[in-house]
Amino acid sequence: MILIENIWKQFSGKQVHCGISFDVRDKETLVVLGKSGGGKSVLLKMIIGLVKPDAGRILVDGKDVVQMTYPQLRALRFKFGFLFQGAALFDSMTVGENIALSLRRNADFAKGDINDRIDYALHIVGLDHVDHLMPSSLSGGMKKRVGLARAIALTPRYMLYDEPTTGLDVATADGINLLINELRTSLGVTSIVVTHDIHSAFVVGDRFAVLEKGATLMTGTREEIQNSENEEVRKYINSSISPSESGHA
Amino acid sequence: MDQTEQTIPMPVEEYSFPIFSVIGRRSEAFFTHLGKYVSLLWWIVRNLSNARKYSGNIAQQMVLIGNNSMLIVVFVSTFVGMVTSVQSAYQLYAWIPRSVVGSLVIKSVLLELTPLLTALVLAGKVGATITAELGSMRVTEQVDALEALAFDSVSFLITPRIVAGIIMFPVLVVFGDAMAVLGGLFGAVTISNISASAFISGMKGSFEIWDGVFGIIKATFFGFTITSIACYQGYFVEGGSEGVGKATMGTVVLTCLAVVVMDFVLASILL
Repeated sequence: MILIENIWKQFSGKQVHCGISFDVRDKETLVVLGKSGGGKSVLLKMIIGLVKPDAGRILVDGKDVVQMTYPQLRALRFKFGFLFQGAALFDSMTVGENIALSLRRNADFAKGDINDRIDYALHIVGLDHVDHLMPSSLSGGMKKRVGLARAIALTPRYMLYDEPTTGLDVATADGINLLINELRTSLGVTSIVVTHDIHSAFVVGDRFAVLEKGATLMTGTREEIQNSENEEVRKYINSSISPSESGHA
Repeated sequence: MDQTEQTIPMPVEEYSFPIFSVIGRRSEAFFTHLGKYVSLLWWIVRNLSNARKYSGNIAQQMVLIGNNSMLIVVFVSTFVGMVTSVQSAYQLYAWIPRSVVGSLVIKSVLLELTPLLTALVLAGKVGATITAELGSMRVTEQVDALEALAFDSVSFLITPRIVAGIIMFPVLVVFGDAMAVLGGLFGAVTISNISASAFISGMKGSFEIWDGVFGIIKATFFGFTITSIACYQGYFVEGGSEGVGKATMGTVVLTCLAVVVMDFVLASILL
């Protein structure tokens, strides 16, 4: 379980987070919704200790990430998979080497096991036989899938997705959404998805946290969010959702 | 109202001295960078045990810094040797023995020219490359991705580059010294009409081991300075692609300045 409690953060005098709080229950997918530039990605980085909040607590399995030492943080990060917005593949390495990196350095895998793991991870994301390719030769959607394969190679307990469908066409985005759902059902991972894509959010999310002006406006299920009396939440949902989507809600 | 509570309206902009605020801001920025740079180096020293896991990266960086720079170092050093030889011969009075040219060349290239010019060339080539690489990795979140995969990104990315620089710069300078001497000999014989035996006897007469050792010591310091500044600039880059460009330019300027200052300091201390 992950608990985010009263997080405050400012960058260069600009207050980005003003007391964000929400929790993520085991084996659920929580979607963090909010406008671009609202500090959603920073929030994900805070959960694995890449960025420290100015105030507040982040509890992962009951342990406060903010208070952890660097060795403790590195141990914690083994539990997490992180899909970055631009996939963040290491462009000097092949797809296979990208996935093998964490397996070679951080786990006791034999060479044969590593190759099996690479094949398995790539198979899960629907990209068989691309391990020899360089990231520069992949499309945006393929890069995201490889990023996902790299993130799940060590079978994490938690997955963090930073704008997983941004910049992708609808079909590719749907494919990524499907993968996120499959990972939850097949691997039982607890996930946090940060996005401003309402369509994707409703496909993958069990619960939602809506951020506005650096604070948590509301948390709840899809129905609770869509039937919210809070005018700001309604305004955000209505401004983001297309008429066809609101119709079948 | 209490007298002490009264505030006097002060038109700060009108009465303050802008030069002081500029100096203040620049000083603050300088010491902030210096503090971060020292902290980075301290982190590297404290976590050298982590770097052992990434020894493969050190070998890879040694190839990139050493092998890939060999050609340009050889080229520059050869011509520096030739020019030194020709200009030395040109400046000598007729009654001075021509063998002195060999003496001047060996002293100049070992003590100063090869280490300094190699460092300045590598400040541009190696320094800029390192900053651009690490800067690109930073702005595309590859550094964050490494950390997210439970890697110590400093030990993985920075330590190998600095260690490789410390090892390979002296090696390059040794090759550069050899090529500069050969270039000097070539210049003396072909342009200045000095016999090879006169040139070599002049060289032998004034050669001291310490001169070569001094050049190697300087190269070690230059290697550390250039790679560490370049790594710092790249690792902490801000502001996207534009930031990478600025940091790369900053690396070339900073490392060149640092090299000439260090050159003077080392000469003052060691000679």
